[in-house]
Amino acid sequence: MGCSSSLPAKNAGPLSSLGNESSTVTDSKNLRVKLVLLGDSGVGKSCIVLRFVRGQFDPSSKVTVGASFLSQTLALQDSTTVKFEIWDTAGQERYAALAPLYYRGAAVAVVVYDITSPESFSKAQYWVKELQKHGSPDIVMALVGNKADLHENRSVSAQDALEYAEKNGMFFIETSAKTADNINQLFEEIAKRLPRTPSSS
Amino acid sequence: MDASAAATPLHLDFYGFLNRLRRPGAADLVGAVKSFLVSFSLYAPDAESDSRRVQDFLLTMERTIKQHPLWANAPDEEIDSAIEGLEKYVMTKLFDRTFGSSTEDAKLDVEISEKIRLLQHFVKPDHLDVPIDLQNEASWLFAVKELQKINAFKAPREKLLCIMNCCQVINNLLLNVSMTTNSAPAGADEFLPILIYVTIKANPPQLHSNLKYVQLFRRREKLVSEMEYYLTNLFSAEMFITNINGSSLSMKESEFQKSMQAARFANEVGDPYSVPELAKVDPPIMTRHGKEIHLGGSNKYPFMERDAEDLTREDVKMLLGLYKQLVTKYTRLSEALRRHSLDEDLLIHTARDLTRRVPSKSIVKDKGAFHSFIASGRALKCF
Repeated sequence: MGCSSSLPAKNAGPLSSLGNESSTVTDSKNLRVKLVLLGDSGVGKSCIVLRFVRGQFDPSSKVTVGASFLSQTLALQDSTTVKFEIWDTAGQERYAALAPLYYRGAAVAVVVYDITSPESFSKAQYWVKELQKHGSPDIVMALVGNKADLHENRSVSAQDALEYAEKNGMFFIETSAKTADNINQLFEEIAKRLPRTPSSS
Repeated sequence: MDASAAATPLHLDFYGFLNRLRRPGAADLVGAVKSFLVSFSLYAPDAESDSRRVQDFLLTMERTIKQHPLWANAPDEEIDSAIEGLEKYVMTKLFDRTFGSSTEDAKLDVEISEKIRLLQHFVKPDHLDVPIDLQNEASWLFAVKELQKINAFKAPREKLLCIMNCCQVINNLLLNVSMTTNSAPAGADEFLPILIYVTIKANPPQLHSNLKYVQLFRRREKLVSEMEYYLTNLFSAEMFITNINGSSLSMKESEFQKSMQAARFANEVGDPYSVPELAKVDPPIMTRHGKEIHLGGSNKYPFMERDAEDLTREDVKMLLGLYKQLVTKYTRLSEALRRHSLDEDLLIHTARDLTRRVPSKSIVKDKGAFHSFIASGRALKCF
């Protein structure tokens, strides 16, 4: 698979995060946001975030790599930072009813599908509807068509996805976790769309 | 894992904190803590408002300690460890009042735990979508053990650490497998199914009360990011188990119900000591669907009111005869039931179990075997 490089979690001991929390104060320059990942199993949700988390080269940034929770700080050009706390969710149908526990209070939802799988695109639309009904009203949503490198097997047209996204007030992008195409752009674009007033999360 | 002591410098651990409170200069803090604890006697216990009171108190104390002469020029981590110590102290004192004290919580705890005892009989990793590469019962055992430790602690932080340690064991397994097989890295698609499976295996004591307690009483500023995520995963495992049905395990609803029924049967038969009081009931009464069935006073069951110590040699002979009849009837009944609905292996196993548990010799001396005998009669009633 394209995103198979793996590093053991450096900060494996739960005790090690004691006392770090005070550095993640939310102010207008340094945001901390909860981002929830939704999408069918096998669309590459975790590959996308691993690409993002490992692709940042700022040595000063604190990175947490677990299997399903990751955090990474993105430094923007206007010298502000955004610390993404990325909550992965299980995509299998049997776990769908549990998703509200995860997207509750999320500032960002990234809904992922696989451009070679129409089923995963329908599933993405299901998540969008769920979020519109039950998510926070000011949630920033992104629709992500992953596996863009497999364009010869494409079965969801970018045009359809774009139209759907625009109709639902979402940002749309196609990515490839394998080649890293558009991965940073995805997170940078999300960062730009975040409301800049300090939130009381 | 000893959550409080391991490798923590003395001035940062709980005892360091207590020692500091013993200094004369800390009298004002001690007074504040005491009057806070006493104030609880003014209110009826209520989880939500108790939680609000504790959270507010810890915030106030944080401000006080930051400006306190005893912590003058103390680094942030020392202040932090003082508040952690305070959380532990206060919550240990308030534990009986705040932990699983409402009847609803206690009821939910029992329901979940009983359900898990049934699920343990037939839920396999495949039912939950655990990929075959990751099916590693030996590693899961460590995660199971961590979760089972949760009632060894009273402080919310330490209970949360049990959860974190459990999740960390699973994470390490996932990372190791993705490194050695060079496969796609695991995410929640793999993590959550394993966590649910581990939760079923562990059947952690008072699951619901523990999760609720951690959520309400862990310092709010500490229950963020990773900690919050993993606690949410346990809540999600609880919800999955509470609402479990055939479709959540990809089986027909009828098959699911059948498995639950068989598990109920196996638990009842396999655990005769869980109803040891039965033989002492005088006259013995059994209930089936709410109807009382009186067994005492009838010539048909001459031994129901007797004590093991009073039996004569003749009695034992008769008892053995009755026992054999019972086993024969039981076996036939099992056969019939099996043909109708129940799982064959389970019943054969159960019948074998029964024979093993009630050895024909030394029935008189062995009170346990006598109970088994009664229980084997009782086992029939669950149909």
